[in-house]
Amino acid sequence: MAKVILKDITKIYPNTQDKKKKGKKTEPKSKLQVTDEGVVAVQKFNLDIADKEFIVLVGPSGCGKSTTLRMIAGLEDISGGELYIGDKLVNDVEPKNRDIAMVFQSYALYPHMTVYENMAFSLKIKKVPKDEIDKKVREAAEILDITQYLDRKPKALSGGQRQRVAIGRAIVRDPAVFLMDEPLSNLDAKLRNQMRAEIIKLRERINTTFIYVTHDQTEAMTLGDRIVIMKDGFIQQIGTPQEVFDHPANLFVAGFIGMPQMNTFDAKLVREGDKYFVEVLDVKVELAEDKCARLAARNVQNQDVILGVRPQHIVLTDKGIEGTVDVSEMMGSEVHLHAKTKDGKDIVVIVPTEKNGLDFGMGSEVNMIFGGNVAHVFSKEDERNLEWE
Amino acid sequence: MKLKRDAAALNSKLLRRPIQKCFILFLIPTFGAFIIGFIYPFLQGIYLSFCKFITTRNATFIGIDNYKTALTDSTFLHAFWYTALFAIVSLLLINILAFAIAYALTREIKGSNLFRTVFFMPNLIGGIVLGYIWSMIFDGVLSRYNTSILLESKYGFWGLIILMCWQQIGYMMIIYIAGIQSVPEDMIEAARIDGASGWQTLIKVVIPSVMPSITICTFLTLTNSFKLFDQNLALTGGSPFEFKSDGTIIKTTEMLALNIYNTFYGSNTAARGTAQAKAVIFFVLVATISIIQLRATRNKEVQQ
Repeated sequence: MAKVILKDITKIYPNTQDKKKKGKKTEPKSKLQVTDEGVVAVQKFNLDIADKEFIVLVGPSGCGKSTTLRMIAGLEDISGGELYIGDKLVNDVEPKNRDIAMVFQSYALYPHMTVYENMAFSLKIKKVPKDEIDKKVREAAEILDITQYLDRKPKALSGGQRQRVAIGRAIVRDPAVFLMDEPLSNLDAKLRNQMRAEIIKLRERINTTFIYVTHDQTEAMTLGDRIVIMKDGFIQQIGTPQEVFDHPANLFVAGFIGMPQMNTFDAKLVREGDKYFVEVLDVKVELAEDKCARLAARNVQNQDVILGVRPQHIVLTDKGIEGTVDVSEMMGSEVHLHAKTKDGKDIVVIVPTEKNGLDFGMGSEVNMIFGGNVAHVFSKEDERNLEWE
Repeated sequence: MKLKRDAAALNSKLLRRPIQKCFILFLIPTFGAFIIGFIYPFLQGIYLSFCKFITTRNATFIGIDNYKTALTDSTFLHAFWYTALFAIVSLLLINILAFAIAYALTREIKGSNLFRTVFFMPNLIGGIVLGYIWSMIFDGVLSRYNTSILLESKYGFWGLIILMCWQQIGYMMIIYIAGIQSVPEDMIEAARIDGASGWQTLIKVVIPSVMPSITICTFLTLTNSFKLFDQNLALTGGSPFEFKSDGTIIKTTEMLALNIYNTFYGSNTAARGTAQAKAVIFFVLVATISIIQLRATRNKEVQQ
């Protein structure tokens, strides 16, 4: 029930912490920028989150997504920039006064309290009247279907149930912003899918602003209204799931979003008037009109590029890029073929099973082609998508 | 794969079987030592508490007379109440201070490792030595006021409390530090977001989570205080004495263990049986109190 604005939010961990670990620090884990002041974990993070929006921060570990969330929660100091929740500048406001609630990856339930007491804890501290606490806790338990466990201690619950309690503990506070830090990462795959659906339903019911951190692109795609993709402390792209899937801003986003990963090729971009072609492994494909228009508008010239095509968008034909099937993975409704081209490049193709997916055993010859509307061209120098700024 | 596993199973079976059969052989050394060093003297001690004896060889059975004497001995009863009071005060002081220091030292203070070592060091000095050192310190201070630790029983009491705190806080602190460090950081953060103040977090989240450490530390301080001997002997040796009209001498700062020792090795050799009976009563007392304490605190423990 509040918008959140992050303006040039920066997080720097001072060097003092580094000195202690210097012995170990032969191999830096990520390419975080190190300045005189320290390690920059989050760089000038700008984001306007609308009221009741569901924002997902996604990226590999060490990209700064959790740090950003913890800064919003108030668990980490903000080194630079301004953070607004509602219309209030909250940089120096205590977590409890920010009107937020947070769900942790480890659930962080209080083991000595029952489920009921866990959920009632924050209200009790606020000295809310007992009958009101009772009403709120029972309502939240109803929503999450944990009413029958209210008298149990957390250790008597399964992982999924514990996570519900953790969410319940957040719901009863009726927060303006709901923060979730990898809430599903500790669950097994099946439960994770189930809880993901629950979160979508939950969102319909409690209707507030969500900020959700995950490293799982599926969660990001399915849950978010908008996704923020981060790497090494920098925002790579902000957009709706469809936008980041269709128009990745750079090679990193292209590779991170989508399963299986996007295929990449070394290719040549050729301009002929207002038309653009990509030349890759004896094949020349004309790019779609809208793509050409965007490239022309940016006056992109002939150059070596990295071409990206998603496995879903490569089709098998009679002629095209030649390859030999190396591995064939039967996934049920579709088959993932890993084909090796003449020059040793691996290409993944998804073929629907009901079509002819099963016709291609290991070792069989295939010809692959892709359309000009699904090819992404990235600069070889800085890996940016050449169509976009 | 299956073949490999079968082979491994067979191997372990072949290896284990003969060993499992003669497990008694492996038990004998430690069990023998346990019998010679503990079980036999323990049973012998109980038997002797029903006897009149000077040396253990010529003991004559006299029934429960020793117990009657022990329980009506005013010095023993005084020592009991004195010890109980001492145990309660030191239990509270040592645990509260040790926890407070441990809590402070887990809050990322500069040089906390140094502090930990320094606070732990008194534990490495033996009780007798400590007693003499502290008696010098106390007397050094008290002599300015023309008195001595041996002259007033309240000085003796608080002197012993200070000595015990000084010696034991470091040890308990180490246990509490381990306990506090095992409280998940997430939980503290969750409490912060839930709106708990530092004090509320401590009382409602941290302390319930370190109950296992509290159990251990209260057990150790309680039994240590009840069994205290060396420090008591070296610091005051029971002084000052109080002379009763019926001729008994009550050593006002004498604790249970010292009382038993003095009874046994005192000039009245006929009282050795009584001393033995006191020792048995002492054992039952310490065991009962510690079992009650363990029950009480164990119930409050939770698993993560």
